[in-house]
Amino acid sequence: MAGLSPDQIMEDVETPRLNDDRRWMTAPSLGGFVGASVILLIVAAVVGSSRHVLPESIAILLFLMAVLVSAAAFGFWVGIASAFGALAGFNFMFVEPHFTLHIGEPQDVIKLLVFLLAAAITGLISGRMREQVDAAESRAAALEVLSQVSTELAHATTQSEIAKVAVRHLHALAHGPAIALGPVNGQMGMLASAPEGYLPDASELEAADMAYRRGRPEFASAQGWSGSRLTFYPLQSDNGKGHGPVLGHARIAPDRRDHGWREQAIEIVLRQSGQALQRLSLTEAAESERRRATSEQMRAALLASLSHDLRTPLATILGSVTTLRELGGTLPPEAQTDLLAAIEEETQRLGRYVEKLLQLTRLQSGMDLHLTWVDAADAAQAAANRARRAWPNARIETGFPILPMVRAEPGLLEQAVFNLIENAVKYAPGVIRVSGELSDGMLVLSVADRGRGLPRAIAEWLASDDMTGAPQGSGLGLRISKGIARALDGTLAARHGEHGGAVLEIRLPVPAEHGA
Amino acid sequence: MSVRHKILIVDDEPQIQRFLGHALNAAGYDTTLADNGHEALARIAAQEPDLVILDLGLPDMNGKEVLERLRLRSDLPVIVLSAHDQEMEKIMALDLGADDFVAKPFGIGELLARLRVSLRPRRAAKVDMIRQDGLVIDLDGHHVSRDGEQLRLTPKEFDLLAALASNAGRVMTHRKLLEQVWGPAHVEDVPYLRVFIGQIRQKLETDPTRPTLILTEPGIGYRWSQPESAQQ
Repeated sequence: MAGLSPDQIMEDVETPRLNDDRRWMTAPSLGGFVGASVILLIVAAVVGSSRHVLPESIAILLFLMAVLVSAAAFGFWVGIASAFGALAGFNFMFVEPHFTLHIGEPQDVIKLLVFLLAAAITGLISGRMREQVDAAESRAAALEVLSQVSTELAHATTQSEIAKVAVRHLHALAHGPAIALGPVNGQMGMLASAPEGYLPDASELEAADMAYRRGRPEFASAQGWSGSRLTFYPLQSDNGKGHGPVLGHARIAPDRRDHGWREQAIEIVLRQSGQALQRLSLTEAAESERRRATSEQMRAALLASLSHDLRTPLATILGSVTTLRELGGTLPPEAQTDLLAAIEEETQRLGRYVEKLLQLTRLQSGMDLHLTWVDAADAAQAAANRARRAWPNARIETGFPILPMVRAEPGLLEQAVFNLIENAVKYAPGVIRVSGELSDGMLVLSVADRGRGLPRAIAEWLASDDMTGAPQGSGLGLRISKGIARALDGTLAARHGEHGGAVLEIRLPVPAEHGA
Repeated sequence: MSVRHKILIVDDEPQIQRFLGHALNAAGYDTTLADNGHEALARIAAQEPDLVILDLGLPDMNGKEVLERLRLRSDLPVIVLSAHDQEMEKIMALDLGADDFVAKPFGIGELLARLRVSLRPRRAAKVDMIRQDGLVIDLDGHHVSRDGEQLRLTPKEFDLLAALASNAGRVMTHRKLLEQVWGPAHVEDVPYLRVFIGQIRQKLETDPTRPTLILTEPGIGYRWSQPESAQQ
């Protein structure tokens, strides 16, 4: 539909609900004359058929009635024409010589004058009344359009939706094409147009650009003059900083009866669109503020968890060291050995913790992923091996089939699995099984334990998109694993195991070319 | 020590229990363990320990709740272990009747010193005279002298000094001091208290900018220093 000229479209546009009636003094329609003729013919037929029983005085009243009806229904000029017709008909039937149109007597002139006067007054009054009715209808229609505009604008959530709503109504109100242009990726581009597919010509683009850069309306050139056919009106966005989109609408023919209403309606549509844009940018500002606050909250939660997880190993190390130094002499040898072991374990725990913190920092600072092809089974196996070294007493079983390669960062994937194992070691005594499988085109690495199962709040949090509000007790490890899984376009989910306990699953997409 | 005191360690971290157990045993105490609040209350009822070391970050109930329930039936000395982010809880615990606190991480010497102070009978036979570093406080006669020289203290200053010095080595919260010296209506008047402490330090301390007698526990209260003789 590209390449329509404005002229073509002006023809196409169907008249919207706003009435655009003729004025009472404007040329009468052909239909009016036909209607008036029909009325006259009916009266003439009635009068003619009963000419001998009907007194002349009644007949003339009937003809007068026909004139009044025609004037009321079809306006001034039809009324006047009808007056002549009625007099002619009356003369034809009742005035000597019968069946001629001769006007001979002075009383005939008086009759004609009465007929004309009645037609003129009725035509004028009914014309004026119709004008008032039209105005009222027009006003009601304008109000309806405007209320519709504000409802639609209130529901618009993007700049392009706002542009679409505005353009559609401008198109209907102005009886011509309407377009919205605005910065798209740094360049002026089309945001919306009505009718769809309308392409502005060079002069219109120039006018739009002018309006955009100057921040002032650019008016359409008058009919018959070269230049833009559309008036362009810039909308302010960003709370007055910088310019928003430019809305273009056609001129309304100044001789239209409802010209004033339409202009007002257009102005209101433009103003409301501008306000909608401002509301949008305010909403966006509020949203980014909310996001900032959330990350602030996350930082606070992280600090709280830091304080506990770092302080406990530190307290053990400091306490054990000072005990050895200050009470060394009185400590039995087993106690000394045990304290040294505690120091070693807690130092390792601190080390792991610091490692996790570093990774979390990376995850949070919108890390750069260095994705390579990774054998997920290798990564999970490495995590299990590391866990066996860290907790020699834990019973960790592994078993992997041949799995497709995935895109990941090997260290991150290993850490994600390791955290799940650590969680299981901490909270679930018994065998921990680390395995992998391919399920529904996703690669699934799972860590199953025989513990009491994961608290529901934590399982729900894992399933949600919420990265920040981790529930109490979820620890840093799960949070990091979830972060890693999401960063690799996967998910971390929890379910109940077949033999009780919790199963935590990292599900990663398998790229098509390497899929099974 | 003729009698071995029995200490209940309430902490949910096994590692902390582990080293505290070794340390307290070596220092001549018997220990018993609990890793949550309910178990702690049960042990206190069943085993009647002489002192409780209570971690404020317990999994089942907060330390404040444990203390409240404990204080309903005994005035057993309690030392709370707290983290720095549990400042409010720590103050509440002290106001609720905990005897002292140790912030994690801590050296064992610090904990043992607090233990010794707290195990000292709280309501010992009334002392009339406190002598420390050449300072003589006559609690009955309301006299204070340093090296024989009389120091002039206002009655309120003396009351405050007496409240601190007769609890040597123990932390006294702002609230406790204000209540004891000025009465329950003034428990919030911390700035007032600070002014008085400043005045007493001017009169008593050798160097008021580096006090050695009245020590500040930031955000919590004050502590009268442990006399040399009482330290090991």
